[in-house]
Amino acid sequence: MLLEFELNGKPTRIEVEPTLRTLDLLREVLGLTGTKEGCGRGECGACTILLDGEAVNSCLLYAAKLQGRKVTTIEGLTTEDGTADGAEGGDPNELHPLQEAFLSEGAVQCGFCTPGMILSAKSLLDRNPDPDVQAIEEALSGNLCRCTGYGKIVRAVQKAARRGGSGGGSGTGGSVRSGSSG
Amino acid sequence: MIPEKLRVVGRGIPKVDGPELVTGRAKFTGDLKFPGMLYGVARRAEIPAGRIRSIDGSEALRIPGVKAMLTAEDMPGPNIIGIFPPFDQPVLASREVRYEGESLALVVADSREAAKRGAAAVRVEIDPWEPVLEIDAALKPDSRKIHPGGNITFSKKLIKGDVEEGFAEAEVVVENTYCTSFQEHAYLEPETVAAVPGGDGRVTVYASCQSPFHIRGHIAANLNLPASRVKVVQAYTGGSFGGKDDVATEIGCLAAAAAVKLHAPVMIAHERGESIIGSNLRHAARIHYRTGSLKDGTLLAREARIYLDGGAYASESPFVTMKALIHAAGPYNVPNVLVECTAVYTNKTYCGAFRGFGVPQVTFASESQLDELAGKLNMDPLQLRRSNGLRAGQATATGQIFERSVGLLQTIDRIAEHRGKAPAAAAFPRAAGQKRWLYGRGCACLLQGISNGAEGIDVVGASVQVSQDGSALVGVGLTDMGQGSRTVFAQIAAEVLGLTLDRITVRQVDTDSVHDSGPTVASRSTTVGGMAVYKAAVEVKTSLLKMASLMFKCGEDRLRLEENFAVLTDNPETRIPLKEVATAAYWTGFPLMHLAFSRAPDAKFDHETHQGDIYIAYNFGTHLMDVRIDRLTGRVEVLRHLAAHDIGRAINPVGVEGQVEGGALMGFGLAHLERIEHEGGRIQNANFADYALPSIKDRLPTETIIVEDPNPTGPFGAKGIGEPPVAGTAAAFANAVAAATGVRFTRLPIRREDILAALEAQQANNSS
Repeated sequence: MLLEFELNGKPTRIEVEPTLRTLDLLREVLGLTGTKEGCGRGECGACTILLDGEAVNSCLLYAAKLQGRKVTTIEGLTTEDGTADGAEGGDPNELHPLQEAFLSEGAVQCGFCTPGMILSAKSLLDRNPDPDVQAIEEALSGNLCRCTGYGKIVRAVQKAARRGGSGGGSGTGGSVRSGSSG
Repeated sequence: MIPEKLRVVGRGIPKVDGPELVTGRAKFTGDLKFPGMLYGVARRAEIPAGRIRSIDGSEALRIPGVKAMLTAEDMPGPNIIGIFPPFDQPVLASREVRYEGESLALVVADSREAAKRGAAAVRVEIDPWEPVLEIDAALKPDSRKIHPGGNITFSKKLIKGDVEEGFAEAEVVVENTYCTSFQEHAYLEPETVAAVPGGDGRVTVYASCQSPFHIRGHIAANLNLPASRVKVVQAYTGGSFGGKDDVATEIGCLAAAAAVKLHAPVMIAHERGESIIGSNLRHAARIHYRTGSLKDGTLLAREARIYLDGGAYASESPFVTMKALIHAAGPYNVPNVLVECTAVYTNKTYCGAFRGFGVPQVTFASESQLDELAGKLNMDPLQLRRSNGLRAGQATATGQIFERSVGLLQTIDRIAEHRGKAPAAAAFPRAAGQKRWLYGRGCACLLQGISNGAEGIDVVGASVQVSQDGSALVGVGLTDMGQGSRTVFAQIAAEVLGLTLDRITVRQVDTDSVHDSGPTVASRSTTVGGMAVYKAAVEVKTSLLKMASLMFKCGEDRLRLEENFAVLTDNPETRIPLKEVATAAYWTGFPLMHLAFSRAPDAKFDHETHQGDIYIAYNFGTHLMDVRIDRLTGRVEVLRHLAAHDIGRAINPVGVEGQVEGGALMGFGLAHLERIEHEGGRIQNANFADYALPSIKDRLPTETIIVEDPNPTGPFGAKGIGEPPVAGTAAAFANAVAAATGVRFTRLPIRREDILAALEAQQANNSS
């Protein structure tokens, strides 16, 4: 079928098998490998993308379902917010406030869950710019992380929220040691 | 050796590879594409034990897109993998099935889907055997032998003093048996490799892995190639925790064999279910423990008999056996210790390395004993630990004496300072049916040996190369799997060379360009790897200082390197950019690259008693956890979690917190949520819906407390922190639940339903 949808702000037309998984369309056909596969069953959230702004598991979504809709992947995060053309040749060092907060708060270890985690957080902040901890937990409860213990992820989302989703930021973060001696 | 003022070391800086990770630009193995790439999928046994009669690929080969099927006969070499002797695991099984996830054949096709269909179409005939599934069954003299040598994989003893004499003098004795369950690593990225034939007689393998040199060695042996023809490149790796070692060698060998045979790149990417049934787990353990003390709490004797269920293959059972043996007596000054540890084969998924290597299991048992003893003695549990806690100059269970960097008591004292009042301690509502919430506080102390120690030689190679522009390229033979060692290595090099971090690049591990540095395990990266970087950087710094002294026309002792400049110490405004110094050094012919080795002193110990010097240092820690339990539902809420560790020096405090918080939640999973469920030797919960991995809602309120008692064997005094938080959290949780409920749970995980059942039984007892 001929699939027409908006991908990271750009109109996209492509001939696909309708039963192709969106995850495979993005990764294998379009080369957008920032979206990860962790389980293939909608249980880990590593493949999270935004569909019309809503976080969904792309491993459970047939490509045909994208018809006429708007898709955002991690590669298009900065494009979507108009802060930079992240997908194609903009300033590659420009980071979305969420990306910056994840980095400065130490919310990233292996980084495999990070793109999905950031997109789930973006979907939340777009709906609710000032979420409480419970709202953050709800929004990210479908995204598993085995490295960080999640505490720093919650703090990163709070930090990005405080910055109100505006571009840039000083990036001075990093937490301080909680104690020292000797 | 350590300058007074550190500029980069000790700062909590963001990960140096963080921008690639948060933007999704970092290439994990599965993100790589090579022209003409094929995909391999294994046909697995699907039953736990049996004699293989035939493997027939004729139907599979008729499926469109399928190019080939490989069986054991297609492996040019010995078809064996294994990290330690006995090397007993086939790459592809040909005669006997020993666990359900065992690979029997690899189907290679031009798409993943075709390869999957092909693997499913392979016809396998197996005469099933009654599987040997439990430790006791495996140890029976008439049990079927899973391997020719019998069902004992590895068995060792530790003997310090005379434990019988110790118990004879003891005034109080506690004794109990503890069990722990199989745990899955559950890194978010399943195991993946891609093998690319080079056209020059070489093969390059990109891998999500922990130990690229293990993979290189195994591929060379199994493909009958000189190791110099094999290059292994570690791609960005999405977590490992001990898990991507044996299995990465297995699929590395398979992909390389297929790639060489078919003259095409071959990728093998495990699905989640394969990752769970087809790669190692954490050993389940059964530990019988006895502890004796005087009435004042002075420990006199500890005795532990440990059985580890190691599953179908040896994997790293020997390593785990040793670690469990050495750590079983805990971080205490105990004159008489006897530990026996035996790893056993069963027809289940094999067990191997997993963050902590047996230490979480024995720490749970040992620390439960301490609390049971404190209860009998009517002593404060933390005080009991403090009075017996190991001090500098006292002997560990192996008789090793450290004069420095024994910070256990400092961690206890910091916890005591921070702990505050126990929650609702005055009103422990033990009396049945009175209040909904049960409150409890638990603590635990632990130690974790740093370096390979008694388990093997510990050498790391690192290179530092400064270019004429004054930037530095650092290569280390140990892998960053997410834990942040790249950042730590960059900080160490930056500190020594006086460069800012943006001038340092730490490259991915590539077996062509660094010295074989062994596996990235045992919390050794920062300590042993960091020391190698330190040494290499110091050598290059020597050239830079020599050149700068010629340029300044003054002695080297009057110069220092900082912030990308060579600076005159007396007059810091007088400075020359390091870029100019490096260029001049190049044109003067001073060496700007150095390969250094860090070699931990060899372990020296008696192999019968395990008395001697085992590790170069220990991480010491104390954890405290406050919980409340809903007696109506069994739900546990962690109100407070303090984790204090003596890490010598924090190179990167944010990284340290990350290791503590992440390790803590993994320990919490072990203690409360996670359990691989077997039925008839088959894993029933090989997915994330049924295997209860902690989610964001389960996260702990962990507060990291860093104690810095400098370690003379580490760079800038540092010691590793990767593994230790797992053990501390699991043990403190068990003690907190016991304190809250009045029930001593002896099996991990202690799940909500276990707690509820115990509370109901307690109530029934009380009312009868």
